[in-house]
Amino acid sequence: MKKLLKSAVVAATILGTSTAAFAEDWTPPGPIKMIIAFAAGGGADTQARLIAEELEAAQGWKVIPEQVTGKGGLNAVNAVKDAPADGTTIAMIVTSSLGYSMVASKTGSPQDVTLITTTAGTQMGIVALADKGWKTLGDVIEAAKGGQEIRFGVMTPALADIAYVIGKENGVDFNIISVKGGKAVTNGLNAGDMDIGFGAGVQAKAVAAGDMVELASARSEPLKNSPDAPLLSDYGVDFVSELAFLFVGPKDMDPAARAAIASAIAEVATKEGGKANAFLMKGFGGAMILTGEELEATVQDAYDSSGALIAAAAD
Amino acid sequence: MTDLGTLDYIWLGILAVFQGPEAFSLLGVSVSITVMMVAFGLILGIIVGATPGLGGVIAMAISLPILISIFGFNSDALLPVLGFLIGVMKGSTVGGAVPAILFNTPGTPDAYMTTLDGYPMAKSGKARKALKISHFSSVTGDTFSDIVLIVCAPFLAILVETYLDLPEKTALLILSLSFIAAVVGGSAAKGLLSCGLGLLAVYIGTGEDFYPRLSFGSAALSDGIPITAAVIGVLVIGAIFTELENLWHQKRHTGAIEVAKDEGDQRLHWADIRQIFPHIGRSAIIGTIIGALPGVGSTLAATIGYATGKRIYAKKKKPEDPEFGQGAPEGIAATEAANSSVSGANLIPVLSLGIPGNTAAVFLILAAESIGGFNPGPAVFKFSSDLNPELVIAFGLFTTMILANLLNWTVGGVFMRSLGALVRIPKQYLLPVVLLLTLASLYVQETSMSAIWFAFGFGILGYFMMRFAISPLPFVIGFVLGGRIEDTARQAFSATGGDPWFLLKSPIAAAFILCAFAVIFLSLRKPKVDIT
Amino acid sequence: MRNLSARTALGLGCIAFALILAFIWIPLDTETWLVERKRGRYIVGDSLAPTLAAGFILMAGVMLLFERHSPDYHPSRQNLVFIGAISIVGVIGILLMRWAGPVAASLVAAEEYRLLRDTAPWKYIGFVLGGGTMVFCIVAFVEQRATWRALWVTLVAVIGIIVLYDLPFDDVLLPPNGDV
Repeated sequence: MKKLLKSAVVAATILGTSTAAFAEDWTPPGPIKMIIAFAAGGGADTQARLIAEELEAAQGWKVIPEQVTGKGGLNAVNAVKDAPADGTTIAMIVTSSLGYSMVASKTGSPQDVTLITTTAGTQMGIVALADKGWKTLGDVIEAAKGGQEIRFGVMTPALADIAYVIGKENGVDFNIISVKGGKAVTNGLNAGDMDIGFGAGVQAKAVAAGDMVELASARSEPLKNSPDAPLLSDYGVDFVSELAFLFVGPKDMDPAARAAIASAIAEVATKEGGKANAFLMKGFGGAMILTGEELEATVQDAYDSSGALIAAAAD
Repeated sequence: MTDLGTLDYIWLGILAVFQGPEAFSLLGVSVSITVMMVAFGLILGIIVGATPGLGGVIAMAISLPILISIFGFNSDALLPVLGFLIGVMKGSTVGGAVPAILFNTPGTPDAYMTTLDGYPMAKSGKARKALKISHFSSVTGDTFSDIVLIVCAPFLAILVETYLDLPEKTALLILSLSFIAAVVGGSAAKGLLSCGLGLLAVYIGTGEDFYPRLSFGSAALSDGIPITAAVIGVLVIGAIFTELENLWHQKRHTGAIEVAKDEGDQRLHWADIRQIFPHIGRSAIIGTIIGALPGVGSTLAATIGYATGKRIYAKKKKPEDPEFGQGAPEGIAATEAANSSVSGANLIPVLSLGIPGNTAAVFLILAAESIGGFNPGPAVFKFSSDLNPELVIAFGLFTTMILANLLNWTVGGVFMRSLGALVRIPKQYLLPVVLLLTLASLYVQETSMSAIWFAFGFGILGYFMMRFAISPLPFVIGFVLGGRIEDTARQAFSATGGDPWFLLKSPIAAAFILCAFAVIFLSLRKPKVDIT
Repeated sequence: MRNLSARTALGLGCIAFALILAFIWIPLDTETWLVERKRGRYIVGDSLAPTLAAGFILMAGVMLLFERHSPDYHPSRQNLVFIGAISIVGVIGILLMRWAGPVAASLVAAEEYRLLRDTAPWKYIGFVLGGGTMVFCIVAFVEQRATWRALWVTLVAVIGIIVLYDLPFDDVLLPPNGDV
């Protein structure tokens, strides 16, 4: 999948121009409602609003953002899936909304919505405060084996499952603390309420300043800021967290609308010097555009593999 | 990156206020948007405070969505928006005294005590002087309270963060909630009921499971009740209904309003200030102490400040001076200093613990939550060597408070004395318009008709609560804190590895829980005065 | 009922509601119990917090039965008449706000309302009719008569609110245009 993602980034510009030609005469028949599945003020919300702002500027469309949060993105999916399919309603969610959330809740499938485009991936890693003295996840596991109680902060059920599997594979028991949002994990670590936790990218500044360390990469490849941090597979864990932010539309969306919106979003997300692009660079390791069949395959893949994680974490 | 110390953070906070985006420049000096917003907020606050039937809460409820539309959802929006709300908060306390003194009609509930001496003074031709005394006392009390806040909040927050673990934090939240339930309003049972209903409302449709709990499977409830709809419904719309009903009963029967002519010396002399200063000082301390306790409002502070002042004054006064209640300047000073010194101290629990103690604080938390990037609570005061933006915001907030006080000292008094005419606005027109404005404003923020239905429904609930003499404040605070209590309890339970006695294992947590029960039990036994 | 004080009635009502909440509503309408077992540990379930709320209400009910007597506040018949009238006016106003635009569009316009919701004059129909009805009826009810003055105040207020929100802000939508 890693190669797939990389080639997609390279292909983004080519894709962008080709779809633009196909859909260039499409204009929305009315204002576009953009449903945002993330809490106001967080990184994901800011990303969506910047994209909305630049879409208005670049395309002359009217985009009206609306927050529909909760239930791992399923509330947003429910809000978008039965909306009119003429391109006047889209939603920004995260890939796991169509994967883990749907499998765990036993409702829906990725086919309930039309996938438009991804915007960015995440730099998911396991982090701790530097003054804990740990360098890698292995040090934490050693500490836990030595009898120390380890509190592990997570922000989604899927990450909680991964945390549990890490413990299970290595013969230790973490006290897994679920919180809402990556910022809450950072706060919990700073307050001493947690020992280690997942960070999706917000840790970048603290890592650069030496206040935090990335103990392991939770992705399939090393983290950009800590290329030496081990992978989860080094600890016998086969699961990774490859979250990506994406836009979706209602089921059976008008293909012209889908292509036009996809290329418009890709354009603002990759435009050098644009606000959205700069924000994606800072927080999410740059834009990552994935559309069409590739995107469908990626999302389906995430959906199919979620069952295995849930089974592995079931007691 | 250089290491940042405490002074650096204070300096950054001040800079954030004055060097933010420029609004306009005046004689070559650039005025930042935040400074301008604080001034606007203060002016609006004084106006709504001086208008009977309106108040700071309504002004905050209506302006918050507009402010968010203007400034957007990013951390640059925090200081202008919060600064504006702080301006409204401070202005409305000052403004409430205007109709109280001029027309014997308190503009805000806590200005009631001001009528006792203010109106007699106005009748005897000393209206302007009474307003000056009221303004001076109010701003002095407010400033004192802010200084206490600025000094105390960071230390309290650091204490909390150093010594309290998740179980203790859970216990502290439970203690605060039961304290609020027990002390607000005339009856502990009704406070508890109000709080329980608020908790129930916030738990509908939320939770960790994929099925939205308590939603009857309906789509309308499955996203939960929007926090603004619940807060504005119960607090603002419920109050509008109650006020409208009073008018309905009066059927426009209002007596002619008499305005006394000013006679003689209206200036506030140094001797006057020396004379009233002991009363201001005493009341400021009383108000600050009361304000620091969550849920105990400015009306109680005014009552205690006035009563204490009266007792001492009776012993010391010269025979020819007027008594309290007959136009004594000291009476105005004792009241206004006490009720104004509540507002700063009220933010101590908000900023250090994230627990709102009054309605103004609820709106500050709402604003911070809607905008994002600032979560009032102990985590704010982390003096980290790399930049902690929330701490800069906190010091920026303190700066806006000082700034609001300075503006209040200088132009606030002049402006306030020009607002006597506002009392003539007919309430039967004003209130329905404010109702529609509130609903429109709510819609702007939530963009969903269900929010309007919820707000209207909660308004009716708020109305019935008032008719049963149940204070809406514990409801609102329960609603605001409910999610955090549940989250913290979940985390504490998981962090202790699923220990069912996690609330009682640590001595601090156990002591908090014990206090929570003691507060409820004691309030049941003691006859109470109405202190909302 | 005459001997039952409002306080006692409220207390009994609270107790009954709390019991229904704790033993019927919460168990039937919530996915997980007070605690559940997940990932090898017990964690807090979704029922625990609402049950705590039920506990608050139950405790309030019991305390109401035993609390010392202060004035026995309760809504009077007059209160009910008032709030009933206000509720009717409010419901009619909100319904008009929601549906006046779509109905007008379906009768007169070529397109459906959803696509016109950001186009004048369509976007104002619901707010002017619904909001105007609400304000005017409440003023008339409180004054016990309908006056021209009330009508003018209403119109000025509604237009004022539109000017306040719709003209300066491009992204702001008046009700009901955000979610039709």
